[in-house]
Amino acid sequence: MKISGSYTIPAARERAYQLLQDPAVLAKCMPGTDHLDKVGDNEYEMKMKMAIASIGGLFTGKVRIADPNPPENFKLIVEGSGKIGFVKGEGLLTLSPQGDSTDVRYDGDVQVGGTIAGVGQRLLDTTAKLIIKKFFEKLSETAVG
Amino acid sequence: MIAQNFDYTAPATLNEALTLLAKEDVKVLAGGMSLIPLMKLRLATPGQLVDIGRIPGLNYILEGPGVLRIGATTTHYEVESSALVRSRCPLLAEAASYIGDIQVRNRGTIGGSIAHADPAADYPASLLALEARCVLVTANKERELALADFFVDTFTTALEPGEIIKEVIVPVEDQSTGTSYQKMVQPASGFAIVGIAARVRKSGGKIALARVGVTGLAGKPYRAVNVEKALEGTAGSATDIQQAAAVVADGVDANSDLHASADYRKHLARIYTMRALAAALSRAS
Repeated sequence: MKISGSYTIPAARERAYQLLQDPAVLAKCMPGTDHLDKVGDNEYEMKMKMAIASIGGLFTGKVRIADPNPPENFKLIVEGSGKIGFVKGEGLLTLSPQGDSTDVRYDGDVQVGGTIAGVGQRLLDTTAKLIIKKFFEKLSETAVG
Repeated sequence: MIAQNFDYTAPATLNEALTLLAKEDVKVLAGGMSLIPLMKLRLATPGQLVDIGRIPGLNYILEGPGVLRIGATTTHYEVESSALVRSRCPLLAEAASYIGDIQVRNRGTIGGSIAHADPAADYPASLLALEARCVLVTANKERELALADFFVDTFTTALEPGEIIKEVIVPVEDQSTGTSYQKMVQPASGFAIVGIAARVRKSGGKIALARVGVTGLAGKPYRAVNVEKALEGTAGSATDIQQAAAVVADGVDANSDLHASADYRKHLARIYTMRALAAALSRAS
């Protein structure tokens, strides 16, 4: 499944880039995640408790930041699995200045498998968008605060 | 598949249900048409279900001054077949008749449908076009909310923890208003790939009021205000309808799945908006 979109973060590009690399900020902004454990260079382990409507489940997984090219772009590689399925994805985040703010564009490819993909196909796209939206909304709040 | 073990309580009153909701890991069960399949697939694993489907005082269709009050556990079939809804608010009866299949309509409830907030559910398009409201209750307070504010996002509503939907309030339709719900159905699930609810009223040869609700296209149902504005004040000719319907998907981040790509969904939305507006106009007097 291809996902792409963009959000405007109310922070200058350097700061937005920094925020996106900060494990504490990432943990705070990812819905259902408390903290990220560093397991290597730019590599973190995380637990994510997903709760969207009635659908809930604990995912454990890894996030890795690759090809950092501050402050323009970097790759985010995510993989996670839980009882209800697995998610694997890779995305390129591109930051471009937009006045005092920064436009963050993401283009990614996500594979979803297991029960959730089998029965949830109709809902994967909207659910993925919802999680991404929540992440960027939280990030914007963090950037302002 | 078999659901994970859970406790089940069927309270006899709404107050009892609200008390039970205060605990952790509790889900409200109404008709169970969305929740039970999710539990059987273990996508949802609540520890306890509070079945409000047996509370006698939650299933009703009543006419008040200018409105119909529909209790949360009123089934789709009851709405679809109610003489009162058919005469006072035909759009809602028509939308209910399109939901899932007859088994789903016999069990599924209006409260359950809006609480689940599936982005492709049928009811929301009509409820938004009707500018309906809902009443939400907790153990010690009650509030009324427009459905437009109730649907927050995909599967996300303004319901707070411990809150239950008590009823949906639908304005009684002016007799001269014409309405229609048009839907492209996904045959396997019965959900709308795109569903459009239209209401129009004419006055002196011009369209005085237009309301358009859209489901299935975006992450949440919405009112296509730009279409309404484009249509109001026109004579409602085929060209007027076509021009108004053309903007229904403008600026919308459309859903995409196995059944329909985002572009195809947007195209469908335009076509079904034309059809719904034309049908509604033909019924307006």
